Amino acid sequence: MGHSDGDHGSDLSADDSPWSEGSWSDDDDEGSLSFEDSGEGSDADSDEPDAPAVEESDSSEDEVAPRNTIGDVPLEWYKNEEHIGYDITGSKIKKRDREGRIEAYLRNADDAKNWRKIYDEYNDEEVQITKEEAKIISRLLKGKTPHTNVDPYPDYVDWFEYDGKGHPLSSAPEPKRRFVPSKWEQKKVVKLVRAIRKGWIKFDKPKEEPNFYLLWGDETDTADNKRQGLSYIPAPKPNLPGHEESYNPSVEYIPTQEEIDSYQLMYEEDRPKFIPRKFDCLRSVPAYEKALREGFDRCLDLYLCPRTRKKRINIDPESLKPKLPSKKDLRPYPRTCYLEFKGHNGPVKSLSVEATGQWIASGSSDGTIRVWEVETGRCIKVWNVGGVVHRIAWNPSPDRHILAAVVDHDLLLLNAEVGDEDAQMKTKGLLQIEELAQEEDNGDKKPAVKWVKHEKFDGIMLIHHKAVSTVEWHFKGDYFTTVVPSGDSRAVLLHQLSKKHSHHPFRKLPGLPIAAVFHPSQKMFFVATKKFVQVYDLQKAQLVKKLESGVREISSISIHPGGDNVIVGSKDGKLCWFDTDLSTRPYKTLKNHSKDITNVTFHRKYPLFASSSEDCTAYVFHGMVYSDLNQNPLIVPLEILRGHSSSDGRGVLDCKFHPRQPWLFTAGADSVVRLYCD
Amino acid sequence: MDSGGASDPSRQVRVRFLTKLPAPLRAPPTSIAVPADLTRMGLSEIVNSLLLAASPDHQAQPFDFLVDGELVRLPLQEFLLAKGISVERVLELEYVKAVAPRKQEDPCPHDDWVSAVDGSNPSFVLTGCYDGLARIWRDASECTHILEGHSDGITSARFINKGETEDRLHVVTASKDRSLRLFKFDTSVSVPKQIGAYKILRGHTSSVQSVAVDPSTNMICSGSWDNSIKLWSVEGSEEDGDTVSVKKRRTNSDSSGPEESLFEGSATSTFLGHTQCVSAVTWPERQTIYSASWDHSVRQWDVQTGKETWNMVSGKALNCLDCGGESSSLIAAGGSDPVLRVWDPRKPGTLAPIFQFSSHKSWISACKWHPSSWFHLVSSSFDGKVMLWDLRTAWPLASVESHKDKVLCADWWKGDSVISGGADSKLCIASGIEIV
Repeated sequence: MGHSDGDHGSDLSADDSPWSEGSWSDDDDEGSLSFEDSGEGSDADSDEPDAPAVEESDSSEDEVAPRNTIGDVPLEWYKNEEHIGYDITGSKIKKRDREGRIEAYLRNADDAKNWRKIYDEYNDEEVQITKEEAKIISRLLKGKTPHTNVDPYPDYVDWFEYDGKGHPLSSAPEPKRRFVPSKWEQKKVVKLVRAIRKGWIKFDKPKEEPNFYLLWGDETDTADNKRQGLSYIPAPKPNLPGHEESYNPSVEYIPTQEEIDSYQLMYEEDRPKFIPRKFDCLRSVPAYEKALREGFDRCLDLYLCPRTRKKRINIDPESLKPKLPSKKDLRPYPRTCYLEFKGHNGPVKSLSVEATGQWIASGSSDGTIRVWEVETGRCIKVWNVGGVVHRIAWNPSPDRHILAAVVDHDLLLLNAEVGDEDAQMKTKGLLQIEELAQEEDNGDKKPAVKWVKHEKFDGIMLIHHKAVSTVEWHFKGDYFTTVVPSGDSRAVLLHQLSKKHSHHPFRKLPGLPIAAVFHPSQKMFFVATKKFVQVYDLQKAQLVKKLESGVREISSISIHPGGDNVIVGSKDGKLCWFDTDLSTRPYKTLKNHSKDITNVTFHRKYPLFASSSEDCTAYVFHGMVYSDLNQNPLIVPLEILRGHSSSDGRGVLDCKFHPRQPWLFTAGADSVVRLYCD
Repeated sequence: MDSGGASDPSRQVRVRFLTKLPAPLRAPPTSIAVPADLTRMGLSEIVNSLLLAASPDHQAQPFDFLVDGELVRLPLQEFLLAKGISVERVLELEYVKAVAPRKQEDPCPHDDWVSAVDGSNPSFVLTGCYDGLARIWRDASECTHILEGHSDGITSARFINKGETEDRLHVVTASKDRSLRLFKFDTSVSVPKQIGAYKILRGHTSSVQSVAVDPSTNMICSGSWDNSIKLWSVEGSEEDGDTVSVKKRRTNSDSSGPEESLFEGSATSTFLGHTQCVSAVTWPERQTIYSASWDHSVRQWDVQTGKETWNMVSGKALNCLDCGGESSSLIAAGGSDPVLRVWDPRKPGTLAPIFQFSSHKSWISACKWHPSSWFHLVSSSFDGKVMLWDLRTAWPLASVESHKDKVLCADWWKGDSVISGGADSKLCIASGIEIV
């Protein structure tokens, strides 16, 4: 509210207000409105627009604070005073002069708004209420709502959605009937079931869905086209026309007359089927004369030519390669040649490394045996033995510096004359021989071996009955074996150095023996014949195993230091790795060399093995043998060592590892011994 | 020409030449702009012309240039790019005299391969030869003494005294005949040219590969093919040798040499630990011996306890070893591959070499630090080359190719020469190497 007009000075008592008489009507209103317009227009004007704002305001806090500040005290206390109270500053509010009642009545009778005036006794002023306020008051008096536009009885709108709500609106416990099967329903269901059984109720047939198909779809790849038995293979698509088939091809497609003429020289099949021509417009293009023919040919092709489905396997070729460890992880292994041992005048046929790796010995077909110092490559000793040195072997015992060399047909034991005094004395003692036991063997035939002192070099000559091909020491350095390939029953001989005694334990061999080696730690003996490797037990003197190599001709053999693995090189360039525990057939056959393998060898400390070949190369492999029996040996080719040059069609004739370093010595037909280091 | 001139100034570098060389070789320290594509030679010419401007009697000579402690070996522009050095500021180029042999002296001929050389005496050079003789060369030109007695090639030879007492030389030789021999002789008297050993040190069971002398010159250590390092005492080696109890008098029975009585000494201690041939030993400090072996290891031994205190595996069989460099604590070693490696044993936990020099083509047979410079090394290789190295660059400073065959040994001599012996039976001397 808060709307008070203080400028009306008329006094109006509450009891004579026009409200109680019910004289407030619309007519009155209209009249008073017109009157107001003429009279105090400004006041009425301010009333009317304010009406909506007034309606909205409902709070009593908007009220203007009373002018008087005396509080809620009986007003008769001020009845006889000059003032009615005090204002907010504390000064007295004077009572207005009382107008005469007659005078006031007259004034009020003139004023149409008088009935809306109320005398506020507390503040001693007259308040005029607006028409709207008067209306509200009258409505309240009638017991109606203050505002006319309020509908007390609107239609109820139920805003809550009940569908799909999981929770009941009420928290009342579930009634029991919800848990009891409905008897009524049961009856109904029984009825329905009976009706269905008796066929009284008929169901609708399922709706048939329209069968669509892809009009432009590729039929070839759909599974529906697979017929029973024979698979459907779509016809190959004809080639699409290119630029040359255009009626107006570019100039470069049109053959010149010369080219057209040259077609005539070609074979019928090679001639181009279609010669591009240029036309001014599409309209002038004649009918294609071969259209029918080509259509017919294509039909014939499709009909007569059997079509097969090509099975394409999409495999990454890299995945087919065996997973091999990187070469870097397998270091050290011999890679580059840093030292050459030069001095021989003919192909170096064999070499052997001393047990500590300080010296090597080499035998050449120029009739010399040389001993070299490894660290400098200096030749420290030369023996001119006067015959081709086929094979040389250094005694593996570090205190016996004895060289066994196959010179021409026989075996020569030499004192290498290196090492300290004790070793020298021992070696010299071992190479002493008395010439006595010669006559007793002269029975029926020539003895297999005769031990003869070699005067020139202070060594021992073992004169065999036929040509010796190889010599090999036992790891303890007392026994050694020689192979006489054409020796029949005396082909493989065992010799004992300390007793100067020889015997031939193997009567019968399944072929020509090529090489014989001792087991590196046990009393076993390996004899390689042309196609097989025989494994003998020396203690029981019996055949233990027979390994089938499957190669044409074995040329060399080497035993892994563990003794269970054997590598064999063949004259057709193949290298076979046997795992004797696994099988008698090769675990792996490596076809690496293009020519004969001359030697294969294992390293004694590092997991390495090498093969040398007549094709002037030597291969180095990583050959790891695991102590776990379930794990197969790992073979990784590491390096091809080149450097030797060919001489008379022969390449590398021998290769040996350094006993302690990952180095490989190779003896070449170019009369050089090379040392390949890591 | 004009366009070239227009593009050149953009590639100019402002440099200032500094040096630690003495005054006549000191260029004015003003900064000048030089073309950025100059090489070492161009820079050297500029310095020479600056010096010539300062003093007219200046002799032009090559210089080497250092930027931030690294020798310039590329064109300046590439070098700065590679090192990421800004060309905005004035580049300070320190120049030193180029280290390269100026002169090749006449080689000293031998009868066989020269396998050992020692240049620690400024007036004499000691060489060991495969014919079992050690030779003393006065001023590396005239053979004054022949030390005989070994029955096999000499592998290593050392002066025991460094010539403080000028007229009396004391020499130890190691040989493949498993013995070491001690010689003592007067240099002023050259009448008996052939000199026999006064003492033989026996005990190794295989050829002795290397010998080193204690800095106090009282002890000798030797490495051998029998995997051991033996320590020998030099003391009590005078003529009245009877006073030493260990020695026994014995005639040299096996050799065809003259009937002379010799003292034999035996090793005072043996260091075992190497599993293969001990190819090199060096004794830089009184309490420490370093040894290199074919078992790929470099070991440090404490002389007092005989225990190994440090063991480093290099991956290659080693042939030579030397200690030197900064506070004589770096180890250079070469072996069965063409790489000369330098390790710093003070770095804990790493076995990676701090420098690798790989310009050789074959095995490295010898390596030596310069006796006074921290940076310079000489190495010899079986490829017939002797190379000079500076730690501040990976390129060789110079390569001496006077040998026709494998070079077996090399050493510095007098601080400005390199002497090397090889399989062509010659001792070559490259002199005039100015290391300041």
